[in-house]
Amino acid sequence: MSDALAMALVELKRDEVLGAVKDKAESGDDPLKILEECRRGMTIVGDRFQSGEFYLAEMMLAAEIFKGVVSILDPHMEKVRPPKPLGKVVLATLKGDIHDLGKDIVATLLRARGFEVHDLGVDVLPAVVLDKVKEVNPDFVGFSALITSAFASMKEASELLVESGLREKCKLMVGGGVTTPAVKEHIGADFQTLDAMEGVSYCLKEIGGK
Amino acid sequence: MVKETMTSEERLMAAISLEKPDRVPIAINLDTAPAARLLGLNSWEVVSQGFGPQLDVVLQVFDEYGGWDGVGGLLPPDLFPVSGMRAKPPSEGSPENQVLEGEVWKPEEYDLLVEVGWQRFVNEQLVFRVSDMTKAEEIAELGSEWMGFLVRFVEEVKKRGAQPYGIMPNVHPFFWMSLTRSMVKFTEDLYYRPDVVERALKAIVPEWTRFAIELSKGMNSKIFFFAEERAGCFFYPMKIFERFWWPYTVEIVDALWSEGIVSLFHLDQCWDQNIPYFKQLPKGSAIIDLDGTTDIFAAKEVLGGHLCIGGDVHPSLLCLGKPEEVEAYCKRLIDEVGRDGGLILGVGCSVPYEAKPENLRAFIETGKNYVPW
Repeated sequence: MSDALAMALVELKRDEVLGAVKDKAESGDDPLKILEECRRGMTIVGDRFQSGEFYLAEMMLAAEIFKGVVSILDPHMEKVRPPKPLGKVVLATLKGDIHDLGKDIVATLLRARGFEVHDLGVDVLPAVVLDKVKEVNPDFVGFSALITSAFASMKEASELLVESGLREKCKLMVGGGVTTPAVKEHIGADFQTLDAMEGVSYCLKEIGGK
Repeated sequence: MVKETMTSEERLMAAISLEKPDRVPIAINLDTAPAARLLGLNSWEVVSQGFGPQLDVVLQVFDEYGGWDGVGGLLPPDLFPVSGMRAKPPSEGSPENQVLEGEVWKPEEYDLLVEVGWQRFVNEQLVFRVSDMTKAEEIAELGSEWMGFLVRFVEEVKKRGAQPYGIMPNVHPFFWMSLTRSMVKFTEDLYYRPDVVERALKAIVPEWTRFAIELSKGMNSKIFFFAEERAGCFFYPMKIFERFWWPYTVEIVDALWSEGIVSLFHLDQCWDQNIPYFKQLPKGSAIIDLDGTTDIFAAKEVLGGHLCIGGDVHPSLLCLGKPEEVEAYCKRLIDEVGRDGGLILGVGCSVPYEAKPENLRAFIETGKNYVPW
């Protein structure tokens, strides 16, 4: 398989990538193969971010391009059987906080790596998290926070998961500007980060160990 | 209590001038929501009563906690539209002021921004997209109400022997573009239409700088506050910083400094890689206020003896830590960053909504009583 598409994505050539994906999909190329090539591009972007070569802005732009790719391929995916997801993730910014930038980037990066992501949005009630966890039985639950008024709702959601017996069935992650190891301890999470790629790496490591 | 030999103004100016004050000056950004919470009030009820009560709760906290030197950080949500931003005012389920970020204007409007300038672009276009206002008179009325509020803010703070720590919550032109275009769209602009962004910055920065100088002079303030959360290395590579932020920042600081006004940089997120650039600014011309994400101790190594540093007790420590942990961190800041002067003790960004009262007291008391020189 050619790496041209993957490398165009790595070089953030938005119009080139989206044009090529559209052409390939319309000419009957296997949408899963196209998606896989773009995923390889996203993996390189992630590697470059972790090595310090790329910055968050570049990862965000790559994620936007990848979202565009998925959107072009969506109508063509009905004809193919999608591969089994690597794992399932529920993401949310909880009640009191409306910031979604970090969460959106993590969601796209996880999707690019083959995870099934259920993004509940922002200002989400803890009970809504519980309902979604009951429904999809995820491997990971992730909370994003940029302001401290989300601490209480993250703790509440975590406690709801414990009370319902679902907490031990998933890993709980927290991330975002105001989170620290102390916040992780406070809400009883398994993992905390300020870095979207660290979150993706954590999921890959944990899922690999299952 | 140590014997104080300086006024708050003298203490702050000594730190800015990189001299040793009688004790470390303390500057606190405190917005309505955490102030109301510290007093056991509902932020959404206070905000709904207008500018006056929003200032009152901040002043009440100041009085109840024994006061401090620099007072800043008040950010009434009614004012967001005047900058072209949509606010999400406090509510019962969401008690803090927040910006509802979105693409308020489109890329094809850069030309209009360049043509009419920053203030006209906001006042004639953006305000009406992000608020219920429909007439220019309403903007003028809000502006007039705000100026009256600012005058009272300055009077009340000075009456208490303290100093306004920056006059008005302003954002750097780069950050303004990012907030009003939205983070993702503005980043696309920077990478896919850089010349257009550059032309806009060249057009609006002089106007923005004149506004900053006029406002500071009008309020008789020697410190001009402006926030920038996005231009640092947490988000952007140096090539973006060097082309779209640094030259305009130098222009702003030089213009303010030539009028005797100190630039107060409110730098949220990580700026570790950008810190050395600030050494190019004139000695004593700026305060680099950090939020607990940038390594303040490394910043001191680079900027010590050249620029004053502010910060940086992390919100998480104030919310979840113990008073003795807050005290220990403040002492470390004073020992390591303030040892030769040049530190203004502050909270990271602003007092967090969930701050424990005992931690805020520990922060203030340590600043007032710990003088290792």
